[in-house]
Amino acid sequence: MLPGNQTVGRSLSRHVSLVLFVLVLMGEVGVALFVMRDLARSNATVEGMYRGSVQGLLRIGDMQYDAQETRRATLYALTTNDGNLQVAYADQSRDADRGVTEGIVQFLEDAHTADETEAGQQLEHDWSNYLKVRDEVLGLILEGSPKEAIHLDLNLGVSEFERVRRDLDKVKRSYDEQASQQLATVATLSRASMTRLTVALVLGLCLGTVAIWAIQKSRLRSAMHLAQLQMDFVASVSHELRTPLTAILTAAENIRDGLAQSRERLFEQGSVITHQAAQLMETVDQVLQFSAASERKSPHPLRELRVDEVVDDALRSTQRLLNETGVLVETKVEPDLPRIIADLAVLSLCVQNLIANAVKYGGAKRWIGISASMNGERNEILISVRDHGIGIHDSDLKRIFEPFYRSPDVIGAKIQGTGLGLSIAKRSAEVFGGDLTVSTKVGTGSVFTLHLPVAQPARQKAPNAENAMGGARA
Amino acid sequence: MKMRVRVPVGLLTLVLVSLVLPREPRAQAAAAPSETRTNPDQALAIVVNRSNPLDNLSFPELRKIFLGERNHWPNGHRIAIAMLDYGQPERKTVLRLIYRMDETGYQDFLLREMFRGDVFIAPKNLSSPTIVRKFVFNAPGAIGYIRSRDVDQSVKVIRIDGLLPEDKGYRLQVDEPLAGKGSE
Repeated sequence: MLPGNQTVGRSLSRHVSLVLFVLVLMGEVGVALFVMRDLARSNATVEGMYRGSVQGLLRIGDMQYDAQETRRATLYALTTNDGNLQVAYADQSRDADRGVTEGIVQFLEDAHTADETEAGQQLEHDWSNYLKVRDEVLGLILEGSPKEAIHLDLNLGVSEFERVRRDLDKVKRSYDEQASQQLATVATLSRASMTRLTVALVLGLCLGTVAIWAIQKSRLRSAMHLAQLQMDFVASVSHELRTPLTAILTAAENIRDGLAQSRERLFEQGSVITHQAAQLMETVDQVLQFSAASERKSPHPLRELRVDEVVDDALRSTQRLLNETGVLVETKVEPDLPRIIADLAVLSLCVQNLIANAVKYGGAKRWIGISASMNGERNEILISVRDHGIGIHDSDLKRIFEPFYRSPDVIGAKIQGTGLGLSIAKRSAEVFGGDLTVSTKVGTGSVFTLHLPVAQPARQKAPNAENAMGGARA
Repeated sequence: MKMRVRVPVGLLTLVLVSLVLPREPRAQAAAAPSETRTNPDQALAIVVNRSNPLDNLSFPELRKIFLGERNHWPNGHRIAIAMLDYGQPERKTVLRLIYRMDETGYQDFLLREMFRGDVFIAPKNLSSPTIVRKFVFNAPGAIGYIRSRDVDQSVKVIRIDGLLPEDKGYRLQVDEPLAGKGSE
């Protein structure tokens, strides 16, 4: 068994690794939320930039082209006397001016600032003035007055169009400025996200390393603990094996050396040999039982059992031990108890372990109470083994069902054992869908209770152990 | 025998009467209102720019405009005449009813007038009623003709002698029916 400070250290290490893991997780989630927020903001800014500045710039580009097209088509009409072509150019000019007019309306709708609105209104005004001149020029061209059309265009059209061009440049500049500002915002957000991500990664790496270190340390301690337990077990089993073997060897030497010649002496030495051999057998059996119980399945098919049948079998098997130790057994089995589904051999061994445990730790009163009753509330059979022994400390209660565990008090009292009995009993009960519980008071005694589910009609038909176990657990 | 004498005399009388009657009244008679000439596919609308303040023209005034005897509208805009291209039934109708000439006579007239300086700007020859409509829409001083069914909101229809194309007694009717559904 490990010393107390090691146990505390192991537990602390486990907690530290868990806390570190949670901290890393929380930290990463927190940073991820920040980064996600930044990304969402960047996304929104970029989207806004696209909707506003980029699309605005594209629209301004289109408007500039359409404005040029309006003027170009008007001037083309001057280059021909063909009325059909002149009308076609007039059409082109009007189509193009529609694009500019729609662009101005859109710009005014999207305008956010007073400057933008003012620029848009100025553009609208100048464009309208230019269109008036353009219409007059077109009219003059179509009416067959090209000289007057040229004169009007040079005097008014050029200056009006120049105003429009300046207005469009102004609007374009405002979009450029907007785009620059938004790009700067996106760049700032990106830098912040990168910084946060870097910090998060570094922190995560550091904390993760610490967590891995703590977990590895915890595992190492667990492995060391297990190794210690195994060493204790080997020592204990060796002792358990060595004691009867020594007695057998001594008795055999006595017989060989002629020290026991009389019939009585020979009987006595023979009794020692058989008794010690039986003890040896019991120890080996227990180790094998533990190995079987570790697999958590019954070696034989399950069948319906009467509770009194189980108790009687266990008492029969432990009769010799009870007789030798002079322990008084009081048995109280309620009549007409429902049947249970189990393997008689395994369940009997389970009860035998509890009886042996009660004999071992029952103290000087030499009394054991065995009872079987029905717990209607949970529809289960309770088989209890009670003693008036030394009881179990609270600190030991959590660990008495651990394999190889032996209480420091028990070790101190030099009570022999492997630390497997209760572990075997609990695992056996679990095989049948039940459980093993304990209630105890130091100096007064302990009660170990097997909880076994009552056989159900459906389960009674269960053909094999696997089905029975599955039903019981469900 | 009596019958044989009467028939040639009657025919001779008819020929003489036809030769004696003046040309214009005969043309007017051809363009006289008729109960059967109210089809919008055949009525020829005289259209001007929507900014033109005029609503009504007498037929003689219309002739003067098309013959180039009048060059400006009351609002000062130069009159620009839009003619459909050669061979189109509307053009033939205008030549026949307004110019009272055939195509050759019209070309001669135009050359003569431009040579003499009485007409400064020749009428524009346009390929389709749609182009005429657009021309009239774009030029404030334009005047043109299209079938009544081709008229839309972009141009203004002028009453001739107080009559619109859909009115009974409207004189400008195209002789040839419309070939297809549209005139373009």
